[in-house]
Amino acid sequence: MSMKTSSKLFGLVLALVMLITGCSQPGVTPAPASGANAEGGEASAAPGTDSPAVGFIFVGARDDFGYNQAAYLGSMAVEKAYPDMKVLRSENVPETAEAERVMEQMIKDGAKIIFPTSYGHLDPALNVAKRHPDVAFFHQGGLKTAENLGTYFGTIWEPVYLAGVAAGKMSESGKLGYIVSVPIPQVLLNVNAFQLGAQSVNPDATTSVVFTGSWCDPGQQANAANSLIDSGVDVLSQHQDCTKTVIETSERRGAMTIGYHANAATLAPQGWITGSVWNWSDLFVDMVDTAIKGEFKGSKYDGKFRGRLSENIVQLTEMGSEVPDDVKQFVEEKKAELVAGTLSPFAGPVLDQAGEVRFAEGEEPTLDELEAADFLVQGVIGNIPK
Amino acid sequence: MITDILTGAIRSGTSVMYASQGELISERAGVINLGTEGSMLCGALGGFAVTVWTGNPWLGTLAGGLCGLLISMIHAFLVLTCGANQLATGLTIMFFGMGITSFFGRGFVSEQIVGFNPVPIPLLSEIPFLGKVLFNHDPLTYLSFILVPLLWYLLFRTRLGVILRATGEREDVLFASGINPQLIRYAAVLAGGFLAGVGGVQLSVAFTHSWVENMVQGRGVVAVALVIFASWLPFRAMLGAYLFGAAQALQLTVQQTGLGISPFFLFMVPYILTLAALYIVERKKRSQTPEALRKVFTGTSAG
Amino acid sequence: MKQQAAAASTLATRPLGRNRWKPLGIQAGLIAAPFLLFGLFLMFYDVNPISLYGSMISSTFGDLYGFGEVLIKATPIILTGLAAALPARAGMINVGGEGQLAIGALFATWFAVFYLHSMPFWLGIPLMLIAGALGGATWAGITAFLKVRGNLNETISSLLLNYVAVFTVGFFVHGLLKDPESFNWPFSPEIAATLRLPIVNGTRLHVGIVIALALVAVVWYVLKYTRLGFRIRVLGSNNLAAERAGFKVSWMQVGVLLAAGALAGVAGMIEIAGIEGRLRPATGANYGYLGFLAAWMAWNSPIRLVFTAFILGMITVAGNSLEISSGLPSSSVHILMGLVLFFLLGIGRRFSR
Repeated sequence: MSMKTSSKLFGLVLALVMLITGCSQPGVTPAPASGANAEGGEASAAPGTDSPAVGFIFVGARDDFGYNQAAYLGSMAVEKAYPDMKVLRSENVPETAEAERVMEQMIKDGAKIIFPTSYGHLDPALNVAKRHPDVAFFHQGGLKTAENLGTYFGTIWEPVYLAGVAAGKMSESGKLGYIVSVPIPQVLLNVNAFQLGAQSVNPDATTSVVFTGSWCDPGQQANAANSLIDSGVDVLSQHQDCTKTVIETSERRGAMTIGYHANAATLAPQGWITGSVWNWSDLFVDMVDTAIKGEFKGSKYDGKFRGRLSENIVQLTEMGSEVPDDVKQFVEEKKAELVAGTLSPFAGPVLDQAGEVRFAEGEEPTLDELEAADFLVQGVIGNIPK
Repeated sequence: MITDILTGAIRSGTSVMYASQGELISERAGVINLGTEGSMLCGALGGFAVTVWTGNPWLGTLAGGLCGLLISMIHAFLVLTCGANQLATGLTIMFFGMGITSFFGRGFVSEQIVGFNPVPIPLLSEIPFLGKVLFNHDPLTYLSFILVPLLWYLLFRTRLGVILRATGEREDVLFASGINPQLIRYAAVLAGGFLAGVGGVQLSVAFTHSWVENMVQGRGVVAVALVIFASWLPFRAMLGAYLFGAAQALQLTVQQTGLGISPFFLFMVPYILTLAALYIVERKKRSQTPEALRKVFTGTSAG
Repeated sequence: MKQQAAAASTLATRPLGRNRWKPLGIQAGLIAAPFLLFGLFLMFYDVNPISLYGSMISSTFGDLYGFGEVLIKATPIILTGLAAALPARAGMINVGGEGQLAIGALFATWFAVFYLHSMPFWLGIPLMLIAGALGGATWAGITAFLKVRGNLNETISSLLLNYVAVFTVGFFVHGLLKDPESFNWPFSPEIAATLRLPIVNGTRLHVGIVIALALVAVVWYVLKYTRLGFRIRVLGSNNLAAERAGFKVSWMQVGVLLAAGALAGVAGMIEIAGIEGRLRPATGANYGYLGFLAAWMAWNSPIRLVFTAFILGMITVAGNSLEISSGLPSSSVHILMGLVLFFLLGIGRRFSR
């Protein structure tokens, strides 16, 4: 393009830009005011009070048989419980500052209650929360809180432990496989719980852990599943956001499978043993209820909330049809002990892969300690980067 | 263990292999198509969707190939008719493919299909070692075994092959013999798109039985790189694709041994291996680059 | 081949043809066409395109916050766009902005966390900027090495290196650069407050845009008015001529690629110092590709790049509001982006004739 046309085009665009900015000049002034006001003026209103809308942001797709589907079902429950409330959703929101803009947009659209549902949405949510003290934030899986931001999660490792027990009972080779994404504490904690569960019924059981480096890459998942089964693993578990591929692959290869996040028994009629799932529906509705009434502060949700197996916020699904009754019964017994508090999966001594004592004899780790897991227990085969 | 890695190499290399054979045809005619990634995505979704609707994976394969072809048609039109820059157009197609498939694919994430399943070939699959590595795969994989020699024959033993290669090397000769090189180029790009689409189908309908947004994850890009590594020879491209697949399988096997290597290094291995292979091959010779392609690379054609 | 090159260069310098107004009309039409097409597409899905475009414009220009958001988005796109445009002028195609940005962000964070945390801002921020540039240049250096020593085409190698870069960043945030107070979550410690770029009140807008615009000016000036720029353009239009004129072609290619990497690296630094405050596995994802496309939309002119980057920024920002208001996936705007680019690419050559 020659210089002349380009400068003409240039001028045109410039004029357009100036025109549009000029036109909207009146709009410019109130905008910063709303930001500034929010900090001082409205501080008296409790966050989330009488919110006309609620926003949900998801890190992946809503129907992935996994993490996001579980959260999505929760948002559906909220929609059903509050027919007059607008439910705003945004899928595939990356775990970067990008999420901040999405939340700001939702707030602009009236949301005073926001659910950032992935751990990586925490920092952006904290930033937005600082700017909007009148908005209540419920962050899923975080460890930090703020005045108007609480975090919630479930002790999913409890059902995962039970699934490990079932896997240990069912496995013939004693070799279990765990397909995971990246070495973050939630993941390591689950792998450890699973191995401890399997170990409790079969001391020789091992869990081979394979990282895929991604939360949802079906090609890599199928590779990993095949590779594990080839090496003699006969029960596959996973910690991925989308769980369908691994479950179906293991079913086709004739291996048994443990689900995660969502009940996928229909995908594996033969090999399904059981799965650990979230039950956010009642919790989400209760959280929204609390915030709308203006009772966010001082409620159990304004800090770190962890839903337990005993509260039915994390669950173990029904056992598959191929699981013998004695195994079903045994797992039920263990579940009862866990709920009653007489069984504690991580009670010391817990040794890591190197044989070092992580939790000493008689020691009972706190939830915070567990959620900062940075090791794999003995019996897990695999390696985490230092 | 070696059996497992080799089997894994073929399993995870086949989709890349289809795409790279397609890209090879296109590049032989002088058109590089970075949109292969987009074609694979469209193929993966199209194939999956039609398999869901009809329950017939072969129809799905056809549909997936056509989807890949359709999107490569945009590439062909823009590059050949409008004279747009090949690399920029290809990259745009890659983005467009991601957008369009994640849009239309939303409803298919939770769908279940029967799809293609491994069919052990009687007798042959009984052979120790080789049987397991070669003769226990899905039909699309077997088809790819036949495709490569066929393509080689087509390229080097038929008149059509001579014409195709001449299109990428010496246009003037073609003009002299009354053949329109544009037409050949169009056909080559479309054929390439079709094969890339079939590669996508292999991934979604045969290998994973799933559709997920952006599930190709760079395999199309690797396919393009492999063609250069292969010096535009079908058998070498096949080898390259299996090498890439083997690197992925090896990576997983190494993880299971519990060796103290960070998984993140292992994730890089397939890509670094591809780069290293390219470096070694390209250093030695470059004379085989189709003339028309070299112009693209050196920026002397198309702006 | 030579003839073609010569033809291409005369093409570029020939003044516009007789009819001056017709092309402008066509241009306007062609720019509007993809938006019309996408509008039809939206109507098919029960979304009112007019209200979408309306809200797109009002959310961009309607208030300071929205305008700031688009500028924030445009800043890295401008820089990665330069990282594509500069080599393009020298006849090379750098698709590695993505990886160069990531490694730039990695270097910048590394220095910020370990060496610069107690420095005053006037020293710390420039040093961090240099670190980012160094990181991007290092990554581009691999591409340059492979090109000059191995004859390996830079398009392919830079593209493949993007994937390696993502895993490299993953390695560091899961290991050496992991925040000890993060309860083992994969991100770096937060950089010191003194190293954060100053922001405009009431928005997230930071001074990064000024840095980006300054670099645009530098690249533009160098290309247009300096001997070096002249040589780069000669190299770009005709490799052989450059060689015959006695230019050290290889060294120039290395230099240009390193400079491009540095520009993308600066984008990475700005993402960290301006927006994120810490390094995460997905920091800056997609900016490299968007930058490349912005550069092509601008026909590799640094000045026009500012506008194309702004438009791409606007479209991406619009994606979120589209999803929230209408339930269409945010990726739908990729379709719009693709259409805009297809039209531009399709008319590109005829434009310049």
